[in-house]
Amino acid sequence: MRAALVAAAAAAVVTFPYWSRPWASPFATTLLRDALILAIFALSLDLLVGRAGMPSLGHAAFFGAGAYAAGIAGQRFATDQLPVTLGAAALVGAALALLIGVLVVRSEGIFFLMLTLALAQIVFAIAFQWTAVTGGSNGLSGVGRPMLAAVDFSAPDLMYVLVAVTFVLAVLVLWGLARSPYGRALTGVRENERRMRALGYDTARLRLSAFVIAGTIAGIAGALSAYSTRFVSAQDAGLGNSVRAFVTVLVGGAGTLGGPIVGSALVSLIERVVPSLLPTDLRIADAILGIVFIGFVLFARQGMVGLGHAALVRVSRR
Amino acid sequence: MTAELVFQQALNGLSFGALLFILASGLSLVFGMMDVVNLAHGAFYMLGAYVALSVVQSTGSFWLAMLAAPLALGVLGFVLEPLLLRRLRARHLDQVLLTIGVSLVIVDVIGQVWGREVRSLSAPAGLDGSVTLIGGVYPVYRLFVIAFGVALAAAMAVVYRRTRIGMLIRAGVQDAEMLGALGVDTNRLFASTFATGAALAGLAGVIAAPVFGVQPGMDTDPGLLYSLVVVVVGGLGTLSGAVAGSLLVGPADTFGKVLFQDVALAVIFAIVALVLLLKPTGLLGRIRIAR
Repeated sequence: MRAALVAAAAAAVVTFPYWSRPWASPFATTLLRDALILAIFALSLDLLVGRAGMPSLGHAAFFGAGAYAAGIAGQRFATDQLPVTLGAAALVGAALALLIGVLVVRSEGIFFLMLTLALAQIVFAIAFQWTAVTGGSNGLSGVGRPMLAAVDFSAPDLMYVLVAVTFVLAVLVLWGLARSPYGRALTGVRENERRMRALGYDTARLRLSAFVIAGTIAGIAGALSAYSTRFVSAQDAGLGNSVRAFVTVLVGGAGTLGGPIVGSALVSLIERVVPSLLPTDLRIADAILGIVFIGFVLFARQGMVGLGHAALVRVSRR
Repeated sequence: MTAELVFQQALNGLSFGALLFILASGLSLVFGMMDVVNLAHGAFYMLGAYVALSVVQSTGSFWLAMLAAPLALGVLGFVLEPLLLRRLRARHLDQVLLTIGVSLVIVDVIGQVWGREVRSLSAPAGLDGSVTLIGGVYPVYRLFVIAFGVALAAAMAVVYRRTRIGMLIRAGVQDAEMLGALGVDTNRLFASTFATGAALAGLAGVIAAPVFGVQPGMDTDPGLLYSLVVVVVGGLGTLSGAVAGSLLVGPADTFGKVLFQDVALAVIFAIVALVLLLKPTGLLGRIRIAR
């Protein structure tokens, strides 16, 4: 029963452009596509922040690395085939996460946050300065077409389907991970690392593996972003993007699968819909996002999912 | 490189280091006392530069800006600490997250009020010229920055070691909770500390403006990024750590940019990684990892 519901929901998400066409504009598809990319990115970060208790503020490094990897692999290997380009994105995301992870997994809390931020910022600076490879401050244009055999996914509706299928797969993988003994061990590391170590777990290796998995998924999200916009900017790897993912996770609710997803809906709304309701010379989307974020940190640390849960409990008690 | 060039770059490195000290000392002070890494420090630095811009535009006095910007930022810090951070006392990580939100708001408000163009602020009359030093001309303003950084470090050292406030700061860095148990008003102490940190960021913003310009993005680079690198390298929470970090990172960054150009940041990356691997608490840091 539950599996059937999940399958129906997944099918509805994947086919959105086709059943929504009578009443929704193509903009809705674009908006949802970008929200789903943010959701994949935020879900991967939540594996660290929510599941393993590793507050990374440098996650955009892997998103950006994946975006560049997909674009550059397509150009260098002269291929548009998704298995090559998405594979390159995942591989580069994983390799970079391994490199940075080795340096950071032994630190905790605020120290972990600062280190991830500083190291990711250096990745950004390299992307920004290594003009010969990344296009530097001009960004990387001419990202190839996403091809699978002879099917070209670059048309808006098909691009959406590609993103939505990846999103569904990411949710399934992370759901399976959370329920597995491995996921429970990660929760154990978050709750009480010393006890886990006393129980014989190699906690540093657990944290490192979570870091690499999260980096891999973030890399794939970055590649999807590169294909969607046909462009990679150094800002994709920048602090602003890391902050965006972090805000998404916390506003939605860390440590849950639903949290990053509803969080990405709210963040997309604030970034893309709210500005169109304001006068054009008032560009305060970031400020609104900041105030919303402060509100959640102060008054609703469990995020929207936590608020919803509390409301449900209150209603059912009546 | 010729000897003259080495000398010039050494001076550049020192003046950048002095600037980094002014910038990072506030971040380090706040962390030492409150266990909070203020991620809005870069935004405070940026706001200081923009306030200075407005003061110079309306009064024409750079010196007045050097007073007004730290004052304005100090007031902001004094208001923000009780308004936001105090509500989450002892939840250090959440306090850090809060400062991310503060930073988002400040940077966007700056863009809305002052615009999003690149601006510049010239050095004050008398310091805008250059002098001849060992075979090359050198801008006087950079020498002023070095002198100011040294004077500030010396003044802070005196305050730390010789005054009642300094005693409270040292005690608070050791154990703020115990200080509260001994009857010190930690609410006021924390608000003042946060205000001082913000004021130092504002001061750094004014002093850096003639060298690095005033533009969007300065809150991250150099603002937050470099102050973090300095405190990570030097060690958080101590004055000597901030001095050591600035003296290492300033020249390393400057020579890295001359010698390796495109991969200059790899030099800083290498330093950060090396320090992390060999001594995760920084060169002069204490072990104190707050969750």
